[in-house]
Amino acid sequence: MSRALKGGVFKALLLLSLAVGFVMLGALLVDVFRDGLPYVDWMLLSNPPSSSPLDAGARPAILATLYIAGLLLLLAVPVGVGTAIYLEEYASKTRWYNRLLEVNIQNLAAVPSIVYGILGLAFLVRGAGLGRVLLAGALILTLLVLPTVIIAAREAIRAVPDSIRQGGYALGATQWQVVSRQVLPAAIPGIATGSILALSRAIGETAPLIMIGAVTYIAFDPTLLGPFTALPIQIYSWVGLPAEEFKFLAAAAIVVLLGILLVMNALAIWLRNHYRRSW
Amino acid sequence: MNVTTIDHRALAAVAQGHGTESFASREPVFQVKDLAVAYSGNVAIHDVSLDVYKSSITAFIGPSGCGKSTLIRCFNRMNDLVPGATIAGDVLYHGKDLYARDVDPVEVRRRIGMVFQKPNPFPKSVYDNVAFGPRVLGLKDDLEARVEGALQRAALWDEVKDRLKGSALSLSGGQQQRLCIARALAVEPDVILMDEPASALDPISTTRIEDLMHELKRDYTIVIVTHNMQQAARVADMTAFFSVEVADDGRRTGVLVEYDVTAKIFTTPADKRTEDYVTGRFG
Amino acid sequence: MRISFQEALDQLEADLQREGELVLRSVRAACEALCAQDAELADEVIAFDDDIDELYLAVERNVEFLLARQTPVASDLRLVLAILHSNLHLERIGDSCTTIAKLTKLTHGLPPDPALLSGFREMGERAEEMIRVALASLRDRDRQRAESLLASDELIDIANRRVVTHLLKLGGDESQREWGLRMIIVSRCLERIGDHAVDIGEQAAYLVTGEFREFTDASH
Repeated sequence: MSRALKGGVFKALLLLSLAVGFVMLGALLVDVFRDGLPYVDWMLLSNPPSSSPLDAGARPAILATLYIAGLLLLLAVPVGVGTAIYLEEYASKTRWYNRLLEVNIQNLAAVPSIVYGILGLAFLVRGAGLGRVLLAGALILTLLVLPTVIIAAREAIRAVPDSIRQGGYALGATQWQVVSRQVLPAAIPGIATGSILALSRAIGETAPLIMIGAVTYIAFDPTLLGPFTALPIQIYSWVGLPAEEFKFLAAAAIVVLLGILLVMNALAIWLRNHYRRSW
Repeated sequence: MNVTTIDHRALAAVAQGHGTESFASREPVFQVKDLAVAYSGNVAIHDVSLDVYKSSITAFIGPSGCGKSTLIRCFNRMNDLVPGATIAGDVLYHGKDLYARDVDPVEVRRRIGMVFQKPNPFPKSVYDNVAFGPRVLGLKDDLEARVEGALQRAALWDEVKDRLKGSALSLSGGQQQRLCIARALAVEPDVILMDEPASALDPISTTRIEDLMHELKRDYTIVIVTHNMQQAARVADMTAFFSVEVADDGRRTGVLVEYDVTAKIFTTPADKRTEDYVTGRFG
Repeated sequence: MRISFQEALDQLEADLQREGELVLRSVRAACEALCAQDAELADEVIAFDDDIDELYLAVERNVEFLLARQTPVASDLRLVLAILHSNLHLERIGDSCTTIAKLTKLTHGLPPDPALLSGFREMGERAEEMIRVALASLRDRDRQRAESLLASDELIDIANRRVVTHLLKLGGDESQREWGLRMIIVSRCLERIGDHAVDIGEQAAYLVTGEFREFTDASH
């Protein structure tokens, strides 16, 4: 086979794999949007669910999902970034406990989400006595997302060239001053992007929330220490109902969820592009 | 007719134009005694003893691997940041042991500034770059005057005065290096260390930096490391030549070969190794 | 640009010109001592040569340092080389003055010939003028002025040849003849001073053109 032909075949295979992914995703999206888009209206967003599909909405689920996103931001990002700073800037890389920590974090990122759910059930809902509340759900999702945030933050911090740190030290800055005034500001775009991507994954997680006891039907607005549901669960629950309209409502809820994810990812991309700098 | 009056002072000035007699009386800023530096047990350089004099330019020259960068980083304790770096021997700064237990490295680095080989401006504005040092050290009073003064002394003010808020990364290589010099000057150091300051720059920028060094040495003591020995010949008052010793087991260690007035190193060096190096017949 | 290099170069030129001033004083004094038969002044001239030598050595050493440290090229290099050579010629002129002074002392008490002495005075003034012109042409990078030295040198050469003819006609007793013989050397010294001045002029021309050329060949 001639070289040009080989190159052409290779390129064709690449396009084929691209097409497979696109076509499947595209088919899914088209199906969902076709079913769900007509049902995306104010009622969906503002009404609590009811047994009648005509005035059912997903308001508690949407609110809970948004609360969870907010809590994740407040909990996962500072802890994750703090850990990353410690590991990259302060920890001596030769010490055994630091290397153990590193290995652990890599492993935790790969643990299935249901395991986190069981963990949450055992330690937070029952062990700490929190009960089946929104806070427990947010906490467990924080743990789920933490390894990813740490890894993303470490990459961003590592990307800051060492010459910047050397320059800071040579001027008489302390380690904390170098980290807080030079390294961290330079790493923020990478940290922000990584965090938002991790968060958007967490919002779609269903298994852990089910494990710790999110309910499938809740008609009032969720509170921090009260029972709750979330969009993925709401969708799951509607799909299981016999009435045909609920399936369309489920599709509509999917559209809303996709919408939230799209906004978050767009924000991540915008942040990355806006603050991108070439070293 | 009187023929015997002659300006003997003028004659002396002629002889001293190349500093041959003028250093014996100067105050030493650094006194290095039997210094050795090792990284994780491997000795990088040893047996170094020399004095660096006030308001002069001292150059360290030698082939790569001879430890000259390692040595210069001892003067501002930047080797502290390298894990596994150990130091034996003394480095005295104005008579005081730089490595004494009660000495704060941060304070050391304020008085002994450093400029690096590749210009490393912070990804901030020109103003914030120069203001960084004073800010972290708490010298907040009259910051604008301080920044302007530093940029003036680094011969950069005229070129950046209209774009102080612009990004430092948009400056040319030579300008960035002068910005790094201004950054070091802003904290009012006593000494400026320069690790191959012009090796990443074009010839014209290099000449400007060399002229700048000549101006700065009036008020600061300057130590430079350079692999360009002609540069050392041009700018330095005193030159130290380092070489590499290869032990039987193949281990390479840097060692000080000769340290003298630059004019002497480049006209009548005492050691053959120095002669071989400066004439380009090394290795 | 290259501030310290330019300063060193300027200093070197200034030192050479100052050496020239010293040498001019020496020439004036040597001729004065000769024509006035002043042995004390002659002693001063001889002592003064030490000062000229000191400056000569300093310029030599500074040229060496400048070449080693600044690696001059193009017109800078020509300037340094011109200074190096001119320095030597100036020192030689100083030595000639010393010889004249020594001969003045040696012939103290012997009967001089006034006509010859007045001739020497003229030669001395002309030599002094030539040195001035040579130094000025070097300082001002003036090739034409340098080349004008040739004509003056001719006159000194002619005067030198006339001295011998004159002395042969003189005759006289032993002391007069001794004086005459010694004066031939003095005349030769004055002629050599003129030659050295021309050599300095040639350096000035080299500095301007980049080509070293003798103004005339020596077979005259």
